[in-house]
Amino acid sequence: MRTRDYKQTYRELVALTDSVPVWLWSAILIAALIIAPHILNAYTLSFLTIILITVVGVLGLNILTGYTGLISLGHVGFLVTGAYAYAVLVSKYQMPPIVGFLGAGVIPALASLIVGAPSLRLKGLYLAITTLAFSFIINTVILEARTVTNGARGIAVKRPELFGISFESEAAFTYLCLGFAVLTLFATLNIRRSRVGRAFVAIRDNDIAARVMGINLHTYKLLAFVTSAFITGIAGALYGIYLSFVSVEGFPFLLSIEALAILIVGGLGSALGAVLGTVFIVLLPEATRLVFSLFSTQMDALFSTGAQELKSMLYGVVIILFLRFQPRGLVGLWHDVKRTWVHWPLRY
Amino acid sequence: MRKYLTTLSLPLLLAGTLAASDRAFAAEQGITDTEIVIGDVEPLTGPPALLGVAASIGHKIAIAEANNAGGINGRKIKYVLEDDGYVTARTIQGVKKVIEVDKAFAMLGISGSGQSIAVMPVLEKAGIPTVIDVAPVKFLWEPPRKNVFVVGQSYEEGIIHLVTYLAEKNPGKKWGLITQDDDYGITVRDGFDTVVKAKKLNVVYSGNYKKGQRDFSSDMLQLKDSGAEVFLAGGIIAENIAMMKELEKLNVKPVTGIFWPGRIEPVLKLMGPAGNGIYAVDYVEPFASAAGKAFLEKAKPLVSEAEFKGINRYTMTGYAAAKVLIAAIARCGKEPTWACTISELEKTKSVETGVMAPVSFGPGVRFSNQKLQIMQSDFPTLSFKPVN
Repeated sequence: MRTRDYKQTYRELVALTDSVPVWLWSAILIAALIIAPHILNAYTLSFLTIILITVVGVLGLNILTGYTGLISLGHVGFLVTGAYAYAVLVSKYQMPPIVGFLGAGVIPALASLIVGAPSLRLKGLYLAITTLAFSFIINTVILEARTVTNGARGIAVKRPELFGISFESEAAFTYLCLGFAVLTLFATLNIRRSRVGRAFVAIRDNDIAARVMGINLHTYKLLAFVTSAFITGIAGALYGIYLSFVSVEGFPFLLSIEALAILIVGGLGSALGAVLGTVFIVLLPEATRLVFSLFSTQMDALFSTGAQELKSMLYGVVIILFLRFQPRGLVGLWHDVKRTWVHWPLRY
Repeated sequence: MRKYLTTLSLPLLLAGTLAASDRAFAAEQGITDTEIVIGDVEPLTGPPALLGVAASIGHKIAIAEANNAGGINGRKIKYVLEDDGYVTARTIQGVKKVIEVDKAFAMLGISGSGQSIAVMPVLEKAGIPTVIDVAPVKFLWEPPRKNVFVVGQSYEEGIIHLVTYLAEKNPGKKWGLITQDDDYGITVRDGFDTVVKAKKLNVVYSGNYKKGQRDFSSDMLQLKDSGAEVFLAGGIIAENIAMMKELEKLNVKPVTGIFWPGRIEPVLKLMGPAGNGIYAVDYVEPFASAAGKAFLEKAKPLVSEAEFKGINRYTMTGYAAAKVLIAAIARCGKEPTWACTISELEKTKSVETGVMAPVSFGPGVRFSNQKLQIMQSDFPTLSFKPVN
């Protein structure tokens, strides 16, 4: 059994993981995710699809808030921009879906420069409010630009066909989301290990010290915004396809809060935390409903008819509990469990 | 070799039979010897709950009525209701749950206009017989979908009917309009513009407000300054209340028209005397009419006291849709199937529901196109009365 990490070469140092069991379990997870769409019914599969789309979006936010320490309350603005970019390009201008996805990434990335510029001088709460304002402005722009966006009428979006493969069925669309989620996960993990990622973390930990070390704060903060918005825009396109209808109403402000809650619960600044947090938050209401339905059918009915209120309450309680007892989130909990397992019966 | 082929073909045959029987069973899901499941997804929490809860009460009344009469050909109806909180993603999940987990035989509802539109591919793919009653928007029946039927009238037609009536009653007057910045608001404006063009109305004020706006002081001041004598209040609930209160404060009382989403009695109560005499258009009977009173009498023993208090016009639309669906399933006899129910829904001809004009569909016609009527509010009795 491995008791310590001994890294003797640079290759070992920059490897995603040097643990064979981690690769093994990851392969098993991927295999399970590939099999799942063929086993799960449409309802259960919808949770998997939502989880995969949310993972993409939250990993995008994690780059900005988790890695770089720039709080964004308006990430739903990038999400809705991505969704509209895809819908306008593909549904309205009949462009190939691949161009739609590219646009869904690039257009929010360009928009992020507008909101990113003030971030060069703003921090903390001030930046959070600026990003919040951006999400409201973007909604107004979409509603007013009727000739392009159809305004409040929204745009219907069909499931795409990429490289001759149709993603029309639920299972196929889940595979598409899985593909994007895996790509995003690897991309963010690699960003974190690169010079850029280390610069992001340095800015988060102490921006003055980072500047002293030669990190150009302007460049890297803008880069964090652009990367984060690009990924979030892709998640927006996937979400729009999932909804089959893109309208401003389909992207409520609450999604920004939900994404931040996922990061807090999962563990800020960790890709694994983003994934764990997403799974936890998305499945929490359903898992609670299942547990309570074992005891009483009335409780099951209550969760059906008051689902949204109970969901908000559950999110609130969970965030408070995590902030109080496990501020490092689920990923912190996982590390504690791992350490206990490795060191037991010793404490450290 | 033959033995090998036999060995190979047996499991294949078995799998084929199972798959076929699975399909046959899937077509008749939600039915046991004693029960038939009808599903629904509505906004039951948050502000739109005023509409979603009322619609679900309408469904419950029709179902209770049918169950008290012995159910559908001996099978009691089980009503499965899901809350979507007016969140589109949740509507999609809710519909999937009702179809896949609760195994509903048919669907009623479903939530708001955007939510219904978003859920259309799921309904179409599933092929489940569905009667929509909450938000009748053209996208739901144009083009007609095989298994989706809509009871009601289009928002555009409703507005055209109301504005035409008010224009004929108030010739040569100056007009004012305010609409919400969403698809509902655009529909209201489109209907209004159609009549403005046809009747060459003199529009002196045309405003647009952001969804969620609560302060209409400047908007109403502009309306007053424009000298508008006829006013179409394009808000829904809280917005119309705020507008009327503001007009009362400014001491102006134009001839005012509102649309059916806001034509509910609690709104009138909150408007106070300022809401007296406002015109509304609807395709369901007002509660002050004989039909409305009869409906309330019928509903009283079938729902709880709390539910009875939650009754509004959406209860009537829900009731009518459920009646039409139940009648169609009943006409399929002892072994109803989705195909038969859809076929019988298509054959629906002049079905009396008591709360609106008779409901009809037809081959390729998935929209009941209900007859409209104008009504006027009476604050002292907190009711709307037909105007003819």
